[in-house]
Amino acid sequence: MSAGTIHVGDELPVFELPVTSTVIVAGAIASRDFMPAHHDSEYARGQGAPDMFMNILTTNGYVSKFITDWAGPEAMVKKIAIRLGGPAIPGQPLRFSGQVIAAEDKNDERVFEVTIRAANDLGDHATGTVVVSLPLEPSS
Amino acid sequence: MTADDPVRDSLERFIGKPMGEGAVAPEEVNLPMIRHWVDALDDRNPIYLDEAVAAETRMGGVVAPPAMLQTWTMPSPVIAGIAERGGAPTAMKSENVVTALDAAGYVGTLATNSELEFERYLRVGDRLKTTSALESISPRKRTGLGLGYFVTWITTYWAGEDEIVGRQLFRIFKFDPSTMGGAA
Repeated sequence: MSAGTIHVGDELPVFELPVTSTVIVAGAIASRDFMPAHHDSEYARGQGAPDMFMNILTTNGYVSKFITDWAGPEAMVKKIAIRLGGPAIPGQPLRFSGQVIAAEDKNDERVFEVTIRAANDLGDHATGTVVVSLPLEPSS
Repeated sequence: MTADDPVRDSLERFIGKPMGEGAVAPEEVNLPMIRHWVDALDDRNPIYLDEAVAAETRMGGVVAPPAMLQTWTMPSPVIAGIAERGGAPTAMKSENVVTALDAAGYVGTLATNSELEFERYLRVGDRLKTTSALESISPRKRTGLGLGYFVTWITTYWAGEDEIVGRQLFRIFKFDPSTMGGAA
């Protein structure tokens, strides 16, 4: 993507993440989060959760991936603001969707505001906004 | 002051204060941890590992995935006993609003909001540290989980001594699970 090809109202390509125990554990350990609720189903259930669940760092990581898979390598993520809902658990695919709601030129880049939603069969896992920019004149 | 809520009154002293000792990243931003993250999340944005492609972008070279910000300063955990500590990576060294609410019976914790802001992308060699400040504590509120307080703090991420590279606002609901479904 380049700044000129994105318009307010555009919807991002939907990304469906097949959430498994491996996805949850891989993200937890890559983010150095060793809380048992993110790798131990029995422990998580003992705490009242339906199963082990994705940690917030991993959710933010997948939001960033969702945005830059669409916007491309020139994109710079400036802000990821999410409200956390139900848990992301094994066997419940997470469906990421988003829409461009604002665009503004600042200095040498165009700054986009994108609403995002990651939901599974339990409801919304994360909803919020991402601010991402692209250069007005690509460097290459 | 709220005459009918001595717990909330007792928490006022924490507002504006650090949530604990600031963290210092145990390692500089480094390629092995970036690769681990890229593989774990299957995030194939080439700016994270492909120097040749990254150099052609406005990044000018490889950069760390922005959402890794908090990862760099995660404390080294003591694995033994982590379940018994409720998942805390190490024993809490000092009293803060969370330990005070635990002691008052508000032992439940639910994360409700995260707002990450990035001043710039990080590069291999950046050494991060954090400072934090408790921003606010709500009046006592009833939610589906029971009675509790929304607690909001802001962590500031620094590279070196004086450069702010990012911030995270984090909000949790600390609640008393025994009050679920009861009257306010």
